[in-house]
Amino acid sequence: MTIGGAVAVVYSHNLMHACLYLLASLFGVAGLYAVIGADFLAATQLVVYAGGVVILMLFAIMLTGGTGNRINRYGLEKIASMGNKKTYFFAGFAAIITSLILLKIIASVLRAQPTNKVLAANDVTVNKLGVLLATDHILAFEISSVLLLGALIGAAVISRPRKERHD
Amino acid sequence: MIARKNIIAMLLGIELILNASALNFAAYTKFVNNNLDGHILSLFIIVIAAAEASVGLGIVIRFFQLRESIHIDDAATLQN
Repeated sequence: MTIGGAVAVVYSHNLMHACLYLLASLFGVAGLYAVIGADFLAATQLVVYAGGVVILMLFAIMLTGGTGNRINRYGLEKIASMGNKKTYFFAGFAAIITSLILLKIIASVLRAQPTNKVLAANDVTVNKLGVLLATDHILAFEISSVLLLGALIGAAVISRPRKERHD
Repeated sequence: MIARKNIIAMLLGIELILNASALNFAAYTKFVNNNLDGHILSLFIIVIAAAEASVGLGIVIRFFQLRESIHIDDAATLQN
């Protein structure tokens, strides 16, 4: 469901359909979180993505008029996809090099032995996550709060109706 | 092909990529080490994705008001 939704997102040509497929994919990822024992992450995923991000995307798509027109202001038809034979050649070349580098990086991870003691399946992680956030990762927590404040102010400033300049 | 020149489609792709990395961190916590640092990182990735989505969609809506388009080729100049 997750992978199918993700593939459908990138292949569907209608933006609304892509957004709904994204919602399905996000639900699938939330289910995967629940399966691997991250209950708080599953709940956060559902609340933040399904409740916030997808609704925001739908609003943006509707405000910008769905798929939009395909003719730009010069009267030329916009191509939906890009690239020709040369760009695809270079993309494949870059993909090969990147995969080699990634193989080198994850070789140590592949050799690592999985730990024997696994987190208990029904262990509630919320308490430990809260303690960790307030002690070990307090700096990142504060930085993310400042980031969210900045994003709020930035989004408000960007989408504010612009005043007429009196030059 | 899957290459798009629609700004909102690109934002959807960015959401998918961030989600994949967050899931990767959670799986790392489950299968390799079992302290909860991977969960913390996934949480921060979700926070950053939400912030990025809000600012990006604000930019997209503003851009649509200016140019009546959400095609990336129309975003070639910094100023009118």
